Amino acid sequence: MSSAQHPRRWPQRLALGWLIALAALALAAPWLPLPDVELMDAQARLKAPAWNAAPVLGTDPLGRDLAARVLAGARVSLLVGVLGALVALLVGVPYGATAGLLGGRADRSMMRAADALESVPMVVIVLFLLALLQEYRAELAALGIGRMHVFLAAVGLLFWLPAARVARAETLRLRGQAFVLAAQAGGAPRRRVLARHVLPNLAPSIGTLLMLTLPRVVLMEAFLSFLGLGVEPPAVSWGILAADGMAALNPLVDCWWLIAVPSFFLVASLWALDVLARAVAARER
Amino acid sequence: MSGGRLLRRCGALLLTVLVVHALAFLLVRGTRGGPFDEERELAPEVRAALEERFGLRRPLHEQYFTALAGLARCDFGPSLRYRDTSVRAILADSLPISLAVGAGALTIALLLGVAAGLGAAQRGGFAEALVLGGSTLLLALPGFVLAGAAVLFFSFRLGWLPPAGFGGVRHLLLPWLCLGLPLAAQIARLAHGGAREVLASAAVRAARARGLSRRAVLRHHVLRPALVPVAAFFGPAAAAALTGSLVIEQVFALPGLGTHFVQAALNRDFTLALGATVVFTALLGLCTLLSDLMLARLDPRAEALT
Repeated sequence: MSSAQHPRRWPQRLALGWLIALAALALAAPWLPLPDVELMDAQARLKAPAWNAAPVLGTDPLGRDLAARVLAGARVSLLVGVLGALVALLVGVPYGATAGLLGGRADRSMMRAADALESVPMVVIVLFLLALLQEYRAELAALGIGRMHVFLAAVGLLFWLPAARVARAETLRLRGQAFVLAAQAGGAPRRRVLARHVLPNLAPSIGTLLMLTLPRVVLMEAFLSFLGLGVEPPAVSWGILAADGMAALNPLVDCWWLIAVPSFFLVASLWALDVLARAVAARER
Repeated sequence: MSGGRLLRRCGALLLTVLVVHALAFLLVRGTRGGPFDEERELAPEVRAALEERFGLRRPLHEQYFTALAGLARCDFGPSLRYRDTSVRAILADSLPISLAVGAGALTIALLLGVAAGLGAAQRGGFAEALVLGGSTLLLALPGFVLAGAAVLFFSFRLGWLPPAGFGGVRHLLLPWLCLGLPLAAQIARLAHGGAREVLASAAVRAARARGLSRRAVLRHHVLRPALVPVAAFFGPAAAAALTGSLVIEQVFALPGLGTHFVQAALNRDFTLALGATVVFTALLGLCTLLSDLMLARLDPRAEALT
């Protein structure tokens, strides 16, 4: 009981500290005294981490510096996380808010459609779509749409449902409030009520939603990149690094750091994002 | 759940499968780059003969009805990659492996999760902190990280279990754990939350006041209501196990449905990808239905509300 009333603070401080340090390191990576991400060194293949000397976190089978790669991966993974979560909200929040505001039959059928999507293996279907889109990569590239854009849209497709549900529930709550009723009674059209009175008041729950969606998107990026269907080499992300590590794994050469280092960064960041999201959600309640 | 309701749910499931199949079929047919586009240009006569053979020259709706008839027989045509094998044969070979992986993982997740969650709620103190802290950590562990660590430690360092391949229970133990543990963590949290709520209720206090033992209270008054959130989570858990199996099967080189699906997506083997997608949809639909049946059994109010 006591733990619920007085949440311990140190995990939150640790989580915030880790994320800030990671973001600072990732942003400052080009100016840090690390070898280039792409630089291969045949003399320094599969060096174990030296911790306080040259290959700080070791090197991979091609002699590339793992510290440099993991920080470059942090840039990609965190960026995809933030942008993907934004895409999810951009799709989900207007959908849910519209359903909540319309009410009645429109609301029911919109939510029924969302329910139906819930029992469909979305990840499989999105992978299927990504595979089909491969056929059109030349055309998409001509339109200025790269693999990354397609990927962000795909991630948004995976996570917009919870956002839509929360936005709908909040809208239903707001709809009964006096100021929304007043605006409606004053003859404001629906679109104006949605844009001026409902959406701005959704801001706090959207913030919480963003925090809750972030770790899922980061995980999904790692998951898809690990399978070879996400971020493409030569770009690096933690998922790609983990996949490289798994590929290098064999019983003869012990290169545990190739798995352990990207895994540690991924797990620590997911844990930190999760702790912060829980804290934000608890504060809102 | 009443008979009519069950029938309606089954109808909805069938409809979902049909819609997913129809959309996937249209997308595959609509995608440029037919199945016979390869590096080497085919002679026009050969191409014509092939297209005739697979009915690609007929109007789209006729092709769709053929595909629909095929769906009824679980026949999705030949694989585009493995030319001499039908998608049906590949699915039939891989489905049992995937079912074994998924069922084992879900069983572990349910048993371990419920036991840990109830135990934590009942005991409190250190056990509770341990379960909650451990589950937070496990939830942040993606399946492939867990799998990498497990292979590194159990297979290479200790040499206890095989790192990959398929050939019996020994090969399934690590996949079960890697897939099941994160789910167990989530289930433990749900069971813990449910049990805490029930334990604090007046009904339980009254039962204790009547002199029932802790064990009897737990079994007769706490277990069932505490399991309601767990039953509601079974559908999402099955979805998570399905998603996770894509990676876990890949890591452990199990020739299951997930491995074939990912390979098909990478190899542009669209008929196989379509077949696997349909099977996955049907499987998840069945699990969701099962979850709702369990929920209705445990808590009749849930059904009345929907």
